[in-house]
Amino acid sequence: MTGRRTLQRALLIAVTAAVAFVVLWPMYWILISSLKPPGRLFSSPIEYFSLALTLDNYRRLFSGMDVASMAAATGVITGFSLVITMVICTAAGYAFARFDHKLVLLAFGFVIFSAMVPFVISIVPMYVFIRALGLVDTYPGLVLLYTSHLIPFTVAVMTGFIKQIPVTIEEAAEVDGAGMTTIIVRVIGPLLKPAIATVTIINFIICMNEFFIPLIFTIRKIVPLAVGITKVPRDVASHYVEPWDLISAMGMLIMAPIVIFVVIFEKRILSGLMAGSIKE
Amino acid sequence: MRNLRARKLLVAWLLVLPVLAIRLATTAYPTFSVFWYSLRDYSFLLRINEFSGFENLSYLVTDPKIGSAFSFTFTFTVVSITLMLLGGIALAHLLNVQFGARRFLRTTALIPWALPMIVAGIAARWAFNDVYGIVNDLVRRFAADFHYDWLVSPVGAQTAIIAVDFWKNVSFFAILTLAGLQNVPSELHESAKIDGAGPVTLLVRITLPHIRRTLIIVTLFFIMWRLSSFDIVYAMTLGGPGSSTSLLAFRMYEEAFKNLNIGYASSIAVALFLIMAAAGVAGILLYRRVDY
Repeated sequence: MTGRRTLQRALLIAVTAAVAFVVLWPMYWILISSLKPPGRLFSSPIEYFSLALTLDNYRRLFSGMDVASMAAATGVITGFSLVITMVICTAAGYAFARFDHKLVLLAFGFVIFSAMVPFVISIVPMYVFIRALGLVDTYPGLVLLYTSHLIPFTVAVMTGFIKQIPVTIEEAAEVDGAGMTTIIVRVIGPLLKPAIATVTIINFIICMNEFFIPLIFTIRKIVPLAVGITKVPRDVASHYVEPWDLISAMGMLIMAPIVIFVVIFEKRILSGLMAGSIKE
Repeated sequence: MRNLRARKLLVAWLLVLPVLAIRLATTAYPTFSVFWYSLRDYSFLLRINEFSGFENLSYLVTDPKIGSAFSFTFTFTVVSITLMLLGGIALAHLLNVQFGARRFLRTTALIPWALPMIVAGIAARWAFNDVYGIVNDLVRRFAADFHYDWLVSPVGAQTAIIAVDFWKNVSFFAILTLAGLQNVPSELHESAKIDGAGPVTLLVRITLPHIRRTLIIVTLFFIMWRLSSFDIVYAMTLGGPGSSTSLLAFRMYEEAFKNLNIGYASSIAVALFLIMAAAGVAGILLYRRVDY
C-alpha cells in the first residue's frame, strides 16, 4: 500500500515538473534573451546560463521607440474600460439577478451568448460604423470596444454573485425606507467588493491580451503595447535579421506585470474564471 | 401595488440599458449588417458600393485561397479541440489534486492563459527557428544533428501553430473543466472505490458523466474561438508559407484591410458565421439531450 502511495507521489511530482518546464522554460528563455549582449544571442546551442548580462537591449528599445507612451495608452484604455465595465455590469447584474421577467431573462441570454460571436465576424460593418462616428484612433472608440468585449464575462459573474446575496437584506433596508438606488449603492455595493476585485483583475488581463481591436482601430495617434511589439522590427531595428534581442525585451515589458499579477492573485483569478464558467 | 411593480421593472430596464445598448450596437447590429454587406460590391479602394447579389458568394466558392483557408481552419479546429479535450481533462484532474505543490502548479497553469497571444506568437516565431530556436535546441540535446525549419514547410508551420495554441490555451480549458470537476460529489468516488472500481472505471463511469454538461459548453466556446482565431496567425506566420496557415479570420482580415474589398470580406465573415452557427446549434442540441 505504502509502495503504491510513494509511486503515486513520485508520478505526481514528475508530471508537475514536466508542466512547469513546458510553461516556464520558454519564458526564462525570453528573459535571458532580452538580457544578452548582441553578439551572444545568435548562438547554437543556446547559452541558457550566461553570466554576461546587460540592459543594453532595453536601452536601445527605449531610444528607438516611445515605449512609455505606449504603456500610457494601454493604461488609459484599460483603466477607463475597467471602471466603465464595472459600473454598468454591476447595475445590469443587479437587474438580471433580481427580476425574473421573461424579457429581462431574454436580454440576459443575449448578453451572455453574444460572447460566442467574436468581433472577427462583425469587424467590417463595425469598422464602417466606428469610422462614421469619427471614433477610429480615438480613446472613446477603443474604450467602447474594449468595454463591449468585457461585458459578457463580467455580467455573468456579477449576476451570479448578486443572486447569492439573500433578498431579505434588501427587504429589511426597504422597510427602513431605503430606495432602490440606496439599496444598490449602500447595501449591495459593499457586499460586492470581493467580486468586483476578482473580476477587475481578470478583466485587466483580458485587456492586456486584446490585440484584434487595437490592430484595426488604431492608426498612429494611439499605439497600445500589444500593437507596439509588432512594430519593433520596422521602427527600431535597421538590419535585415529579425531583432529578437529587442523583441524579447519588449515582450518582457509586457509579460512582467501580467506574471506578477498572476502570482499574487492566483486564487482569485482561478475562482473568478470558474465562477464565470458555471452558468447552467 | 401594480404601479410599484411596473415602476420597478422600468428601473430594471434602465439598469440593463447601457450593457444591452453597447452589446447590441457592437455585436448584434454589425453581425446583421455583415449579411447585407456581403451582397454588395463594396470597395474602399475603388470607391464603389453597389448591390451585386450573390456575386461575392459565387466568387467565394471558386477562390483557391479560400479553399485552403477553409481546410486549415477545419484541421486546426478539429485537432486543437481533440488535444484540448484530452490534455484539458487530464490537466484539470492534476489541478484538482491536493498536494504540496498545488498552488505552484495552479499559478504555473494560469500563466499561459494570462499572456497575450500576440506576444506568445511572436516569441514562438523565434522559438521554432531552425538554428536559434528553443524547440530545435531542446531536440538537439537528444538528437544532435536534428534540423527542421518549422515555419518554412506548410506541415511544419501548421503543426507549430497548433502546438502554440495548445500551449497557450489548454490550461484555460482545464480551469473551466475544473469548475465542473469540483461539483462531482466525492462520496460517489469513495463508494465506487470500495466496490473495487479502478481509476479508469472511475473516470468513465462517474467523473465524465458528471462533467459532460460543463464539457459541452466549454468545448462549444472553444470551438467558436478556434474557428475565429486570428492573433496566432498574425503573430507567427501571416498565413504562410503560401497560404497554408491562413485561417478564415486572417483571410478575411487581409481582404478587408489589405485589399480593401469590404464586400468580399463580408461574404467570408458570413460563411464563417454560418459555420459557427451550425456548430452552436449542434452543441446546444447535444447539451439538451444530455442530463446530469
